[in-house]
Amino acid sequence: MKKVLYGILSLAFLFACDMEELPKSQISAKPVFGTETGLEMYTNSFYEVFPATTSRYTSSYYIAVNQVVKYLTENGFSAEESSGWNWGTLRNINYFITNCTDESVPQATRNNYLGVARFFRAYFYFDMMKRFGDLPWINHPLDVNDPLLNSGRDARTLVVDSIKADLDFAIANIKTAKDPTCSTITSTVAAAMKSRVCLWEGTYRKYHTEAGLQASANQWLQEAADAAQIVMNAGYSIYTGAGVANSYRKLFISKTPISSEVLYAVTFDNTMGVVHSSNRQWTSVTFGSCPSLVRPFVNTYLMLDGTPFTNQTDYATKSFPQECVNRDNRLAQTVRTPGFTRITGGTTVKTAPNYAYAITGYQTCKFTLDDTQFDNVDICDNNVILFRYAEVLLNYAEAKAELGSLTDADWAKTVGALRARAGITGGISSKPVAVDPYLKSTFFPDVSNPEILEIRRERGIELSFEGFEWSDVCRWKLGSSLTRDWEGIYIPEFEVPYDMNGDGTLDVCFTKNLTPANKVPGVYYLYVGEKLANGAKNNSQIAADGHTLVYMKDQKRTWNDKLYFYPIPANDLVMNPNLGQNKGWD
Amino acid sequence: MKKPKNTQKLRLLNERSITKNSSPEEKPGWYVQRQLIMKCVVCALIAGSIQVMNPVSAKAVDIQSAGKSISQQSKVVSGTIKDQKGESLIGVNIVEKGTSNGTITDLDGRFSISVSPGATLIVTYVGYVPQTIPLGEKNSLSIILKEDSKGLEEVVVVGYGTQKRVNLTGAVEQVTSEVFDNRPMANVTQGLQGAVPNLNISLADGKPTRTSGFNVRGTTSIGQGGSALVLIDGVEGDPSMLNPNDIASVSVLKDAASAAIYGARGAFGVVLITTKNPNKERTSVTYNGNFSMKSPTVVPDMVSDSYQYATMFKDAYSSFYDYAREPSTIHKAVPFTQDWYNTLASHRPGSGLPDVETDAKGNYLYYANTDWYDLLYKDQTLSTDHNVTIQGGSDKADFMISGRYYGQEGLFAYNSDDYDMYNIRAKGSAQIFPWLKAENNMEFSQMNYHNPLTVADGNVWYGLESEAQPMSPMFNPDGTLTMAAAYSVGDLWYGKNGTDTDRRVLRNTTSFTASFLDKALRIKGDLTFRNTDRSEDTRRVQVPYSSKVGVISYLGSSTNDFSVEDGTTKYLATNIYGEYEKTFMDAHYFKGMIGYNYEQSIYEYLQTRRNGLIFEDAENINMANGSGIKLASSYEKWRIAGGFFRLNYAFRDRYLLEVNGRMDGSTKFPTNEQWAFFPSVSVGWRISEEPFWHVNKNLFTDMKIRASYGSLGNGNVGSYAYRELFRISQMGRLINGTLKQKTSLPTIVPDGLTWETATTANVGLDFGSLNGRLRFSGDAYIRKTTDMFTVGKALPAVYGADVPKGNYADMTTRGWELSLSWHDNFTLANKPFNYDIRFTLADYTSKIDKYNNPEKNLGSYYEGMTVGEIWGYETEGFFTSAEDIANHASQKLYYASNSGTWLPGDIKFKDLNDDNVIDYGTNKVGDPGDRKVIGNTTPRYTYSFNVGGDWNGIFFSAFFQGVGKQDWWPGNDNALFWGQYNRPYNNIPKSMIGEIWSEENPNTYFPRYRGYVALQGTRELSVTQTKYLQNVAYLRLKNLQVGYNIPKNILAATKMQAARVYLSAENIFCWSPLHKHTKNFDVTNIYGEDAEAKDVASDGGTNSIISNGGQSYSYPLLKSISLGLSVTF
Repeated sequence: MKKVLYGILSLAFLFACDMEELPKSQISAKPVFGTETGLEMYTNSFYEVFPATTSRYTSSYYIAVNQVVKYLTENGFSAEESSGWNWGTLRNINYFITNCTDESVPQATRNNYLGVARFFRAYFYFDMMKRFGDLPWINHPLDVNDPLLNSGRDARTLVVDSIKADLDFAIANIKTAKDPTCSTITSTVAAAMKSRVCLWEGTYRKYHTEAGLQASANQWLQEAADAAQIVMNAGYSIYTGAGVANSYRKLFISKTPISSEVLYAVTFDNTMGVVHSSNRQWTSVTFGSCPSLVRPFVNTYLMLDGTPFTNQTDYATKSFPQECVNRDNRLAQTVRTPGFTRITGGTTVKTAPNYAYAITGYQTCKFTLDDTQFDNVDICDNNVILFRYAEVLLNYAEAKAELGSLTDADWAKTVGALRARAGITGGISSKPVAVDPYLKSTFFPDVSNPEILEIRRERGIELSFEGFEWSDVCRWKLGSSLTRDWEGIYIPEFEVPYDMNGDGTLDVCFTKNLTPANKVPGVYYLYVGEKLANGAKNNSQIAADGHTLVYMKDQKRTWNDKLYFYPIPANDLVMNPNLGQNKGWD
Repeated sequence: MKKPKNTQKLRLLNERSITKNSSPEEKPGWYVQRQLIMKCVVCALIAGSIQVMNPVSAKAVDIQSAGKSISQQSKVVSGTIKDQKGESLIGVNIVEKGTSNGTITDLDGRFSISVSPGATLIVTYVGYVPQTIPLGEKNSLSIILKEDSKGLEEVVVVGYGTQKRVNLTGAVEQVTSEVFDNRPMANVTQGLQGAVPNLNISLADGKPTRTSGFNVRGTTSIGQGGSALVLIDGVEGDPSMLNPNDIASVSVLKDAASAAIYGARGAFGVVLITTKNPNKERTSVTYNGNFSMKSPTVVPDMVSDSYQYATMFKDAYSSFYDYAREPSTIHKAVPFTQDWYNTLASHRPGSGLPDVETDAKGNYLYYANTDWYDLLYKDQTLSTDHNVTIQGGSDKADFMISGRYYGQEGLFAYNSDDYDMYNIRAKGSAQIFPWLKAENNMEFSQMNYHNPLTVADGNVWYGLESEAQPMSPMFNPDGTLTMAAAYSVGDLWYGKNGTDTDRRVLRNTTSFTASFLDKALRIKGDLTFRNTDRSEDTRRVQVPYSSKVGVISYLGSSTNDFSVEDGTTKYLATNIYGEYEKTFMDAHYFKGMIGYNYEQSIYEYLQTRRNGLIFEDAENINMANGSGIKLASSYEKWRIAGGFFRLNYAFRDRYLLEVNGRMDGSTKFPTNEQWAFFPSVSVGWRISEEPFWHVNKNLFTDMKIRASYGSLGNGNVGSYAYRELFRISQMGRLINGTLKQKTSLPTIVPDGLTWETATTANVGLDFGSLNGRLRFSGDAYIRKTTDMFTVGKALPAVYGADVPKGNYADMTTRGWELSLSWHDNFTLANKPFNYDIRFTLADYTSKIDKYNNPEKNLGSYYEGMTVGEIWGYETEGFFTSAEDIANHASQKLYYASNSGTWLPGDIKFKDLNDDNVIDYGTNKVGDPGDRKVIGNTTPRYTYSFNVGGDWNGIFFSAFFQGVGKQDWWPGNDNALFWGQYNRPYNNIPKSMIGEIWSEENPNTYFPRYRGYVALQGTRELSVTQTKYLQNVAYLRLKNLQVGYNIPKNILAATKMQAARVYLSAENIFCWSPLHKHTKNFDVTNIYGEDAEAKDVASDGGTNSIISNGGQSYSYPLLKSISLGLSVTF
């Protein structure tokens, strides 16, 4: 018996002395932070926060959508419905910044990756700051007992100062200035980011007088211009390689970023299975919200000679095919106009707007790949541009104009260059001196400086649907402009089928009859009467002038200045009452 | 007095109770009197149960059949029948051999029967060995029947040994091979469902490969979770790879005391599967085979009349947009225009008009009326099962070899999911010396399965629901696929996309038994290795279709790739243990066991995927030429070691005590937590063995009370959970044109990690009654799972990560289970009719005792919560008028239309807290707004009912199982339930027709017809509410079989020893209250989901529905009818 017992015990000892097992397919901190490969591998994870879609438009004074904008409905939004108080991205970055201290990697190399990390921290905080205003500034990964978990918010000014400090560090320490693949963060991208942030802050301080920060506005505007200058010295140019009719749109539908203009783009490659599904969002009636330009904004696209379209006496009553003639070439590269084509099964087909999608009559085509095979499946691999030279030029021009130091030379190399690419011949070499009354009265009644007005026109047109819309509305304090009716094309006559794209076949008929008689085959009949069969209000109606299409006229949007910042989500406020609620939301 | 079958012989005791040794004459008067009363009662009971119509009299009852005339030369034979102790046996069957002439004994054990001269009598009685008595010249007989010791000696497999059932003190349930007999099943897990009370097996779907963890006694842990440990012949194994014919018994150790010997892995029960041992008595060859026809239990019944579909589509679509918008397409595959719709009206089924026309531009216009589910499945699919067992041996050595092939043709009409399974087992033993025996048990299994894929949406059912509307036919006139088909059945028809899975298990156990000291000391040891290989080859190519004459387009993203996955588990286990058994002074029985166990497992996995197949039929990754290459690997190793002991003590077989303990070590814990000791104790009191137990043995044959208590650690933890580790994976984004590796924030290190502990207290009662015909076994238990590894107290979001986990939560599970069986026989047409009935019932509920949610926020666990509870609104009804809407509490948080407008016929929620707004308050238990607990997802009162019988070689059995109470919320994006209320382009369940609100028909089940309202969180039907909460209790006839054992005299002409033919039907009937509202679901796996599709989603899959779990879009369960044959030579 005893022998057996001893036997068993010794066997037990034999097997059981060491009970440690190390994972082999995962690693510990040492190889991550102790090698350059490790640092690169870690910073690669930051890139996954970038959006993988071209569908990044936000609410604006120039975009109509097919949904009620709850945020802009009277009492339509509350802290209970708020969201976005998510901090996981920051922790990942801060963990890196705190731990990237291993001296076996040279300091300059570490600083390069720290520069990338701090760029991404600035990118994160800029979005959060624009959404919520004041924020806790957190620069290290918190542990469960960290007092910051339950502390209040820091002033927004401290947050933007910190964002700027991060970007300055990134500009100074990221080793690469230019990446021909446009797929990594370079010091130039950080500079472009800085111009974006500083312009936002400078104009915010200038126009949001209630914040009492006007005195420091110019300092930020100057920083915006200086940062833009860094990019302008880096050898980028406005792409014109595909001519006035195609260069602009080619930027967005190109698979390989056009590196002369693009600083950074999220890139895709169908052959490697890295794709996105944006075409569907720009073509499906049910997927996405059918963003369409409103006519007053379309009216701001200049004539090719550089004069305002609205200078023509009959501009207001021009039909869709008529108004598209001799316009800024970006119009035809932004929405479907006569002559627009798509490719179906290898053949090029003239294609009219889909009036189920084009709720105002102007259907976006800026990012839509030509071949219809991309519409229904997720195989798009055109690049998603996040930083491009055109924006930097517009930042530069705007900052200088706001500072009052814009020169003709500045104008020529910024707005002038962009207009020239679009085929505009007039007014591209010297800055404007006259106010366009239509532009001012329609969108920017408080602005009297013709330079600023024209730069805003340019920014809207050049950067349409690229995600700057809401941010521009906020910094320019234009919130009330979002309450305008969504007006669409001018319809000369009802019950008459029109050929909208000039291919010789009739496309659409606007009708006030619920059951129009003698329908022409192949024509889309859009009912524009006020009421539906069951008495409900129709979404597509006609404005008071009796001819202009108007969408969701009965769905009133309202504005309240509290909307410039979102409310802290109610649940998060419950978790930490010290956060305090934003003004107007409590 | 007769003895019941299952009463244990008193092996160790000389003492006999007074009744046993006394002759009737010596019995006191009160006793005799009571005996008479009892006999009457018992006879009445028996008579009632066997439906003998004749009144019970003091004389023998002759039940010979009326049609049979008795020969004139017949003589009358009479006699008495007693047991070995001289007690009279009542109701014994006496049949004249070869005739239907028979009788039974009366209250005094006497009988009388007229037989022909030279007849032979056959005497049978439950629990006793049958006797055949040639009469010769005798006219009176005195027969003594011997107890059938098989029932008395029933042994139950327990951890590291066996135990006689009567001596069990823990909660152990055992079923034998009968559970699997004559049933065609793809794998063992599917066959065990419902067989053991509180052994809960929920299969996600009906795929032949589908298996699941075994749950014992309900919710285990809300932290680490945990299933029962499954051991095959004592070593961890995968039951789904086992040959069902090889199984001798399945024993379930339910309480801590019986599972404690397995320590940390037995925390939530142990399932011991034991394979058959060779039959040494004679060499034999047995063949079992069956052929089955299978078909889905449920095929969704959808509207296939396209005009009806399109009319409803239009209504559902425009009503969500406040009747302000007309559709322009029916999702992706078919455009919607008024003209098309008008034309469709003339293409109703039976119109004879063409299904496909083309417009001026060559685009196809579709007017078909397609039943897509009809195209998807075969009406019937076949499976075959062949099993051969060869066995034999002598005193010195024995052997058994078994081989099985099971093949099931796929259910899909195209690219079908064929399944094959091969098993080989070779088992043998040799008695090397009188004291040493060596055994070897080798097993090889191989499983192959082809799982077809649809490349557009990943899952054919989802593709079918979202794109395959009835107006689209499968093919265009030129033979190309339509777009709708390419999304669904057409992909299968194209037949190139799918995953081939190949699983192999090779396992060998070598063991020895050495016996010393006249077998009182036994030492056993074994060594097992097991290699499990799984490889999956997946091909995904684009699917061509056409929407316009002559123009081919392709579906399937950029997926033109081939992937190879290989996973290997190398597992090693060894046990050595010694056992010593002795009885002292004839009263004190001791058994001691001590042992050591060591196990290790190494898992390695590699996945390679490359795109750019050079041709679409490529069958190897070498045929891929693209630049999209994905590589991923993983590795896991764990080791455990344990020392264990068990002590049994019994005093005079009355008082039973068992103590178990195990010291466990695991590599999954930090160094200071690696070792833990888990003790348990159980006691039993065989009250019927007490001298004072004077209860009549007819009423209570035996009775035992059991109790146990034990505490086990849950070692079911991720292997490296306590370490700060950086995961490395391939990016989904391009940097510099390549897919680089990335790493990020390491997993948050838990706030300490120690063992979760499951402490179970169990009480049990076993008794036999009515001479052992009736047996009852019941247990009630409380299991406290403490220190569950759950998330810490919620932290503000700025923390930026999941809150670190820790051993924070406690839970109590209370439950009980019982089984009741009855077996008996009677004579039918002079032949014994044996039958048995078994009923089981089990239940449990779990309550959270402690959880890091002091605010009691809903949406998470909280203290006092009943696990599984469903919170929701009370549906007051439908709005009846504008006035009704205006007067009702505000429902502004919810939507019935895009604009938030409510109309008559929309859902009206009850304002439970009368605050004039329908809301969720602060979302806390104390302030839930207008919500309350409306149901619970836990299956309650799970039951089974088994009835079987045999007569004259004919046997039959029926096995029912079900759930007594359970609720189910159909959930978001569940098109099979909600139809177009989900997405207007979904198919419409036929059962919905007539149940849709309208002003003319306001009293319906479903509200105003609107699309999108069951799709997302704040829409009226997405909100959990009483009206659409489903009662998913059910009763299923799981198996029904009838067969015939061909009599020996017929077989005599052949070389066969035995032969049997049978018909067996599986899953042929199911009743459920759910069926009142929908017949599109198989209620028995209502919480199931398509696991493969879920994997696709977690791997970056293509659509939200599947990443939400893919419920309801899954492989159907199958019903089958099979014909089987079994012969033994």
